[in-house]
Amino acid sequence: MSTPQQKILAALCVAVVAFLNMGSQRQSSRTRPTPAPIDYSKFSHNTKKHQAACDTCHKIPTPRWQQTSTYPDITDYPGHDACVSCHRPQFFKGAKPVICSVCHVKTSPRDEARLPFRNPGVKLEFSIEFPHDRHQDVIALLNFRGNESLSAFAHARRSWEDKLPTYNNCEICHSQRGVPSPPAAGWADGFQPKPETFKSVPTGHDSCFNCHWKSQQPVATNCAGCHKLAPSTFTPVTVPTRISLKFMHEGGGAKQNHVADCASCHINITKSASVRGLKPDVPITSCTECHAKAGVREDLNQELAAIDKNKAFVCTYCHTSNVGSLDPPASHYLIAQRPPLKRKDIK
Amino acid sequence: MRPKVHKTWIESVPPRSVRYALACRVVTNANGHLKSEGPFVTSRQAKAYRTPRGGTDCTKLSRLFLLVIAIIFLSQLGHSVAQTQTSPTGVLRLRVKVKIGEATKGLARKRFYLLKGTLDQNKVVIDAAEQSPYVSRDCFYSKLGASQQLIDWLKAGDCESVYCREVEEEFVNGPKAVPEFVTAYAAGEKEFGQSNIGRKWLTNNLPPPLRDGFYRDRRNALDALLKQAEMASGAHPLSTMTDRNGTAYFTDLEPDTYVLTSLLPIEVGASLDMWKCELQIKPGDIATEKPYQVSNKKDRLVRCVAVEKPIPVCQK
Repeated sequence: MSTPQQKILAALCVAVVAFLNMGSQRQSSRTRPTPAPIDYSKFSHNTKKHQAACDTCHKIPTPRWQQTSTYPDITDYPGHDACVSCHRPQFFKGAKPVICSVCHVKTSPRDEARLPFRNPGVKLEFSIEFPHDRHQDVIALLNFRGNESLSAFAHARRSWEDKLPTYNNCEICHSQRGVPSPPAAGWADGFQPKPETFKSVPTGHDSCFNCHWKSQQPVATNCAGCHKLAPSTFTPVTVPTRISLKFMHEGGGAKQNHVADCASCHINITKSASVRGLKPDVPITSCTECHAKAGVREDLNQELAAIDKNKAFVCTYCHTSNVGSLDPPASHYLIAQRPPLKRKDIK
Repeated sequence: MRPKVHKTWIESVPPRSVRYALACRVVTNANGHLKSEGPFVTSRQAKAYRTPRGGTDCTKLSRLFLLVIAIIFLSQLGHSVAQTQTSPTGVLRLRVKVKIGEATKGLARKRFYLLKGTLDQNKVVIDAAEQSPYVSRDCFYSKLGASQQLIDWLKAGDCESVYCREVEEEFVNGPKAVPEFVTAYAAGEKEFGQSNIGRKWLTNNLPPPLRDGFYRDRRNALDALLKQAEMASGAHPLSTMTDRNGTAYFTDLEPDTYVLTSLLPIEVGASLDMWKCELQIKPGDIATEKPYQVSNKKDRLVRCVAVEKPIPVCQK
């Protein structure tokens, strides 16, 4: 290796290797930044000294909960004593101590008004642990005893409510909700979902405390039984991600055929021990029981056939164009008994 | 004009090194003298020129380059293997139907388990499950001293615990009132100062054994069996629950032999049914194929039949 060109090539190779490994080295050799001055206007549960038992600061239920809630709950910020034991210097710093703004609308001793609890302007610090599998086990475990009406279950309460007991089911937490605000980029194709489209998710303690107020763990005072400190703060998702935006939970024509047992379509929900990584998991077979019946309804087949003829065809029966213009997944072809195709391969 | 390549070099260089040469000088014949031209050439250029790219220095350089490429490749291999390694998995679609008298219906809301391995490999677990004593729900709550009204209330909804159904007003007041509910309701009303919460949150004031004792007993027995199964097979048992039609799915299954079982017996009519069947999952088994039929009665399409026993009589 004596010529200049060879040396340059060797140097180039070394540089490439060094560059590729730089990422990992950077992680390991990162030096700790100089601590920034503490911003006392921002409270964080991540601060080590804020990680004592929850009831050290939060009183459960909050005194005078009746003024703002229909059930016993944590409805307000902790009292001054929760903060002042450590933050006395910040409490009496200047005419308008910045620490007051964590809870109070104004930093004035004459104005006690507090921000809403919890403050929607602050990102979430806790994620929720909820084992769907355990809850699925205890609610509505039906033993079949030859009574036909008993074999029906979730959502079916409407049809039997006159004659049968009201069973607890997924609806005790997930009921019909209003249409959420559109995503930042607006609804795809300007398609406005109907109120029957989405199901709600619990946003308060009411659906938990009715069983877990006391004695059944995790009880109300055991906040950590459900709330786990997230690795970083986050903004909750308010608009559900939908592949088939045109599907309505309360739809299915005049007979409301979509109103069925939740677990019939959400096939993995009964084994989910956590909400972490939870996906809707609705297989195409849930749809094609009705929407791919030869001679009756052939919604899927018709759209796949249309792609055969025109590779730019957009599937619109279930999807908006952001999804409908993609290649249909292999499962769609499989259920329609067609060989899977990619649009680019269609002439 | 394309330079003329020196023939001797072409003939003397083995084809292998031609393939490996990625960046060498082009050697041309100019007026009878060997002359190297230009800086480095790309592999495409080298191929176009059909240059021999031989010679000691060039081969060394090629090898050095290959070595570096190999190091880069190996250093990235760990990541890429983890990211791209996917093995084909299968899906098992269960269709559980039971026959009671003349009626055949889907077995709703029942949990089934999939243990890895053969029946023989899971013999210890299955034997333990079969030998575990069964106490019926009615018997369980009766032994705890539950009122007949509570036993009837659970039975009317076929509930294992009080969480199964809402406690309606008529069960805390009036002739149908369940004594345990009345007491809990009164305690709740006193605690919360609101009758509505007292009823809706009634289970908070019920003694735990009466609240969900039967479910907990079964849960504990199941947990012990599942732990045993995990030790036996080295794999975490999978579970799923049937929907109202008796359909359930196991997804993302590694191709292997499994045992499908209910582990604990299930009350079906006047019988106790337990399922334990060996099955194979092949790569690419999909849910769109015919479902795996499970029943308490033999039939042409049924692939897993329950072992039935009568429900034991309650020993008071």
